[in-house]
Amino acid sequence: MFRPNMRVYVSLLIVFSCPTLAPHLVCANSTTKADEPLVASKPTLPVARRISSLIDEQIQSGTKDYAKLASPVCSDAEFVRRVYLDLTGRIPTVTQTRAFLDDNHPDKRAALVDQLLETPEYARHISQRLDVMLMERLRKKYINVTLWEEYLRDAVAENKPLDQLVREILAADGSGKGQQAEARFYLARDGDVNELTRDISRIFLGADLTCAQCHDHPEVADWKQDHYYGISAFLVRSFVFTDKKKKQTVFAEKAEGEVKYESVFEVRDKTSKGPETTLPVVFNGPKVAEPAFKKGEEYNVKPAKDVRPVPKYSRRAQLGHALTSSQNRRFARTMANRLWAMVMGRGIVHPLDADHSDNPPSHPELLELLTDEFTASGYDLKWYLRELVLSKTYQRSSSNELFASKSDQELSDAQFAHAILKPLTPEQFSRSVLEATGQAEVYRQSLKDKLSEAALRKNLVGYERQFVSLFGGLPGEPVEGFETTADQSLYLSNNGSIQGILSPRSGNTADRVLKIPADQPEQIAEELYLSVLSRRPDATETQEVAELLAGKTGATRNNMVSDLVWALMMSSEFRFNH
Amino acid sequence: MRCNYACGSHDSLSRRSFLGGTAAGALSMLGFQGMTQATAAKQLAAQQKQVVVFWLSGGVSQLETWDPKPGTETGGPFLSIPTSAPGVHISELLPYTAQQMHHLALVRGINTKENNHAKGAYIMQTGRKEQPGFAFPYLGSTFSHHLAPPNSPLPGYISVGAGGSSAESTFLGPRHAPLVLSGGRAPNNLGRHDALSEERDLLRRKLRSQVSQRFEQKRKTAHTEVYNESFDQAAALMSRSDIFDFSKFSDKDLERYGKHDFGRHCLMARQLVEKGVTFVKVGHTNYDTHSENFNFHIEQLGEFDRPFATFISDLYDRGLLEHTLIICMCEFGRTPRINSRIGRDHWGSAWSIALGGTGIKGGAVSGKTNETGTKVIDREVNGGHLFHTYYQAVGLDSTEEFYPNGQPIAKADPKTEPIKEILA
Repeated sequence: MFRPNMRVYVSLLIVFSCPTLAPHLVCANSTTKADEPLVASKPTLPVARRISSLIDEQIQSGTKDYAKLASPVCSDAEFVRRVYLDLTGRIPTVTQTRAFLDDNHPDKRAALVDQLLETPEYARHISQRLDVMLMERLRKKYINVTLWEEYLRDAVAENKPLDQLVREILAADGSGKGQQAEARFYLARDGDVNELTRDISRIFLGADLTCAQCHDHPEVADWKQDHYYGISAFLVRSFVFTDKKKKQTVFAEKAEGEVKYESVFEVRDKTSKGPETTLPVVFNGPKVAEPAFKKGEEYNVKPAKDVRPVPKYSRRAQLGHALTSSQNRRFARTMANRLWAMVMGRGIVHPLDADHSDNPPSHPELLELLTDEFTASGYDLKWYLRELVLSKTYQRSSSNELFASKSDQELSDAQFAHAILKPLTPEQFSRSVLEATGQAEVYRQSLKDKLSEAALRKNLVGYERQFVSLFGGLPGEPVEGFETTADQSLYLSNNGSIQGILSPRSGNTADRVLKIPADQPEQIAEELYLSVLSRRPDATETQEVAELLAGKTGATRNNMVSDLVWALMMSSEFRFNH
Repeated sequence: MRCNYACGSHDSLSRRSFLGGTAAGALSMLGFQGMTQATAAKQLAAQQKQVVVFWLSGGVSQLETWDPKPGTETGGPFLSIPTSAPGVHISELLPYTAQQMHHLALVRGINTKENNHAKGAYIMQTGRKEQPGFAFPYLGSTFSHHLAPPNSPLPGYISVGAGGSSAESTFLGPRHAPLVLSGGRAPNNLGRHDALSEERDLLRRKLRSQVSQRFEQKRKTAHTEVYNESFDQAAALMSRSDIFDFSKFSDKDLERYGKHDFGRHCLMARQLVEKGVTFVKVGHTNYDTHSENFNFHIEQLGEFDRPFATFISDLYDRGLLEHTLIICMCEFGRTPRINSRIGRDHWGSAWSIALGGTGIKGGAVSGKTNETGTKVIDREVNGGHLFHTYYQAVGLDSTEEFYPNGQPIAKADPKTEPIKEILA
């Protein structure tokens, strides 16, 4: 019998945090005018090393018989859809698909990647993925969420180094003008020291230390209570403070306060030597020593009623530096692994927050290489994603002749010998539905000269929110893996907002298809398939479309086309990024 | 006010989920070859059985419910009261339930040796300890698989106010994953869009599935099957949307069950059982009482007692109890020792559950704890014994293996056996 001797909070935890998700948005058609400039930014041209071929070497050497098992490199149609989804968060428009398929340049894939990395949609999409990774869809608290989203979007647009971004977020207290948004990471969690300790460890260090709060982790020998409280010590003096006069809530700090902990097991077994304490420390790095002040001289602003205290020395201010310092390799490694999982569909360490010696990476040397190179590049997000998507590993087909004859074990996803089906994130799904139906195109045409990523997104964001609420899981528990719910399939089948964008309307998919003369079934089928599935139909599919439409005119024909758009769009081929 | 968890692990999976599934139709054949006539008949009889689980999340205290120890150092302030089952006493916090005790049996000798929410929940809902690399289905999915009529349009497993995840059905496939009714209401979008005729809808669904099949050749299909099945499930739900019409409860019923969420959830469960849903899970929460154990139990059981008892009595009156098994369980019990915050902590080594209805001997008690409730001193059982018992109660042989995916799987832990003394 034991008595837990620590305060603990109820909190929803996910066992595997997964940075899946992301959002993204909008874009202008490549054929329209340039978008408004985003923050003043120079495109960062990749000056760092080319490592995509090194990635392929490591992946190949990781599996015996890799060449025999590997899927072929994917077709242009597979590539264009995949890379648009991964870099801009939506399927390509029918025009963009055609342009790519009909392009004869041998290096057209690299050229497309470079082009996509410079679009405003890239910034939107990747910032939404980062948002979900950092915030796990937690609801608004104290901080304007739009400002936070814009802050992340600007950061990605100007290709801010990822370590710098994390330092900014962890240094924010929400008091300064213009940096309130960054404090969302702390404030949305209400400054709760345990919740923050758990999330910081999971998200930035690849370690779900939840169980190390009350005792050394029972299943993971590497993870100790000391690790947990080392992180907690950075945060233990911080608290949420509301300035009644300014009507502003900030993350304030005191000059004193220590973590105290003892193992509940030792308490139970009566072997405890009493509570321990620790200076702030990130995992097995150096403890962060702190200056001593004479009694009474610890503060710049002393604590008093309704006054925000300001200590001379802030423990929390050290956190971002300690976390991203070269002495803590776990940060770069975890980020490299999370971004890899985002585009490859699975981490090299998997689950992403279970990086410990009993769960080794599938390709240890590759993960070392990625960690080194990502660090050497200065945490250059654009460069890193570019290298990943230019690798053959990324460009394998998701189809493989051997699936029929080999077991899942023999062709496991961890070998990266085939592309892994990635469920579309709620944001990708909503944007792609709007693209496939041509609804996005209708809005583009109506915006005319005012067209920009931001303006278009205003028209589409309602859909995005509906999809996030249905497909995004619960705040703090984003969907891991692939799940369906009755609510989702009933929405896709019956909801008016889906049904309403299928019917012909000037410039949308059904309208374009219906304008093609009935005696050109090949063109009709091609328009349909290119618009929705981003590929040309095969003979069987062309035949099927022709038969379904044969002899139909007027409303019956309209209905058939709408129903075809729905059927293609609700197929598993559309639901996954393959 | 919320109770504090003593461990970060959270006990409930709160993803609203239901899966579409593998082509489990073929797999749910019960494989009649090689059985005796009698066994086959029993199997068939089992097809009409139903199961309702009341899940008291957080871990209700056995000392404030099924195994009170009044007047002892660990017993707390509440008395025990006699019940409608001769010789059986339960806590005075359950006066209405006490009147239904002749329908219920108690298992007082549970020792699951597990004090972690998630792991305790796993044991109680799968009948086994967690094993790395192998996930057993939860009992909702298990009984949906064994008992739901093949090709029934009804969901086999519905969760009301108890959360649930599509992961619960594991290898039994999405067909048997929970349909989670969130917010105590029917799913949205149950009706076909006005613009569409039934014929059009059927055709476009057929096309959807053809396009999907073409894509799935030569690809991994674990996820795509789940997705496809979800459309079939949606169609099935649409055809039986009547089961979700929760607008017609009489004022009298609303009064008898209480106007709070739990009362309403019990009424919904009653309707779902009447409509033939195989497995229903009803949740009630806030039992993780590390502090203020007694106040919390007054409050929570005060809400739980009457609707639970009314549910049992209604099922009996309507003739449903004779083929419905009711189980009231949680992840573990609570410590006999009262801590410094007047709380009780996690306690998996000597605790109780109640069950009743089909196949159960009303008023029976199995197992015994010592005077202070710190130890099981007679008929100690664990999750395995309980699972054997549930199977036997609904007329299935728990010692046989079943072959959901061509692999033999023991229905319940072969090292344990049914608790015969509470089986009818």
